[in-house]
Amino acid sequence: MESTLRSPFSGAITIASLVFLIAPLAVVVLFSFHETASLAFPFTGFSLRWYRAVFASPSFLNATLNSLIVASVSAIATLVLGVMAAFGLSRSSSALRGPLALLFFLPITLPGLFLGLALLVFFSRIALKLSLVTVTLGHIVYVFPYFLLIAKAALDRMDSALEDVAADLGASPWQVFWRVTLPQIRPVVIGATSLAFALSFDEFVITFFVIGSQSTLPLYIWSSMRRTIDPSINTISTLLMLVTLVMFAVAFALTIRKDGMRAEVGR
Amino acid sequence: MTAEGRAASVQIERVTHRYGAMAALSDIDLTIGQGEFVTFLGPSGCGKTTLLRIIAGFLRPSEGRVLLQGADVTAVPPHKRPVNTVFQRPSLFPHLDVGENVAFSLRLAKTPEPEIKRRVADALALVRLPGYERRASHELSGGQMQRVALARVLVARPRVLLLDEPLSALDLAIRLEMEEELRRVHREVGATFLYVTHDQREALALSDRVAVFNRGRIEQIDRPERVYRRPATPFVARFVGDANVVPVDVTRAGGGETSIAIGSERILRRFPQSPEPGPAWLVLRPEALLLSEAAPRAPGIPGIVRDFAYRGSGYAYRIAVAGLGEMLKAEVPAVESGPFAIGAPVDLAWDISACLFLRRREG
Repeated sequence: MESTLRSPFSGAITIASLVFLIAPLAVVVLFSFHETASLAFPFTGFSLRWYRAVFASPSFLNATLNSLIVASVSAIATLVLGVMAAFGLSRSSSALRGPLALLFFLPITLPGLFLGLALLVFFSRIALKLSLVTVTLGHIVYVFPYFLLIAKAALDRMDSALEDVAADLGASPWQVFWRVTLPQIRPVVIGATSLAFALSFDEFVITFFVIGSQSTLPLYIWSSMRRTIDPSINTISTLLMLVTLVMFAVAFALTIRKDGMRAEVGR
Repeated sequence: MTAEGRAASVQIERVTHRYGAMAALSDIDLTIGQGEFVTFLGPSGCGKTTLLRIIAGFLRPSEGRVLLQGADVTAVPPHKRPVNTVFQRPSLFPHLDVGENVAFSLRLAKTPEPEIKRRVADALALVRLPGYERRASHELSGGQMQRVALARVLVARPRVLLLDEPLSALDLAIRLEMEEELRRVHREVGATFLYVTHDQREALALSDRVAVFNRGRIEQIDRPERVYRRPATPFVARFVGDANVVPVDVTRAGGGETSIAIGSERILRRFPQSPEPGPAWLVLRPEALLLSEAAPRAPGIPGIVRDFAYRGSGYAYRIAVAGLGEMLKAEVPAVESGPFAIGAPVDLAWDISACLFLRRREG
């Protein structure tokens, strides 16, 4: 496919943009393997010493474990709540559908700072002690709209005639959902759950407000930077980035590929 | 109105359905016998699909009752009704192969595995797709998909089968082939078939009885031959087959003859049973009209050829008659004399046995 936009000028801009976006990340990854404590060029040699150091640190391992727990629980809770909400919004004919959808999507438009503060006030009002529980609740509020947006789009796109056919063949509404609706949207739901996990795993602002005395991985990075700056920060950041990237890749592959397949079948 | 000697399979009692203020169905009464093949025929928006969805249970009628095998099912949801539907689109479950699509209702009913296997194979054989169990649904052609959809409902051995324009998305050649298949399947399974279509040819070819719908009402329900030959209303005459439906005035003339005024022309005829005097609609099938060269003392009424088209088996003319708003359609077999030219004066005659008069209210 010959693009009319293929001029040396636009090519240069593309490369410059990519360098601008990726170079800082590349530097972080590179220096996570540095053999000395220096964080500046020249790069003198490769070593895994910072990785060994990080994995030997109990507070790092504790923060990682916390992050994994919070991200898993909030992703699974979002999955259950989100599929139910998406199904309701997509299939109901209630007049409340529009206003409800608006309410559900509202958190996307709010700055994290505002959401964090609001949640903090709310939790103290209901006298809920700040802990990983409050962090998980906050993350559910934060990732839920993203999940809902994707799941609802998949349900809207799905041929709802299949549900009529299934009901006609004797399936109760519950059987229709498990045997027909869910299998149609399963890849998208798994993808959206990975996205929810990734969003929760590297969330910082809301966590910062509602965490209390414990720590998650992003918070651990932030607090260690205030003490010393050595390549172990880069190591942790690289690990964080790796987990997030993998989850995003899963989300991307499952939600996008499904679309491609639909286009191929055509209708 | 049940065909003689058959138990009632589907009864519709005073069913009315409104969408907002608009009545999609008005006061429908209908009884369909077990094993009958009844077609709901009508233009889009006439209410035929609405009635089918009410029988399937997807719609709850605003008023009236639906009885299946004598039991009131008006409030029963679709999945608990002993009817199955073949929809316009096959809508095969894309995540299941052909065999599992067909087995869907049997799995819900927790049928034992060997029986599922046997009945799926039988159903696929019935629609002439034996051995297709392991195929993916997207590998099939449109006609094959619709056959699988048919097998998927037949496997449950429904007493009543609803078919909502199942052939309208298919090519003509496949459609004709599928019509034959449907007739054969109907004979073999003995279920009641309710078939919705806007295609009058399909309705005439398939049905035991045809119900012609217009604006939410049934204008006529009868055997296909009767609907075609003895339409009850001008709408039915125009919709089923092609027809000239022209306003005439009937008066008694002396000597047992009846005078019919068409436009500003007038003819005298002697009918075996003379039609009611007064304003009427005269229904004339285009193939019943005879054309001959205009001549003094010709038997018919004078007209002028305005258009003609060659149709292979003959010529289709449009003929203007003085004082008549619409032109008459005439289909004449090709004869040696060749076609009449546009603008030619002709004599337009017809056999009195081809005449059908319907009451016409003034205004």
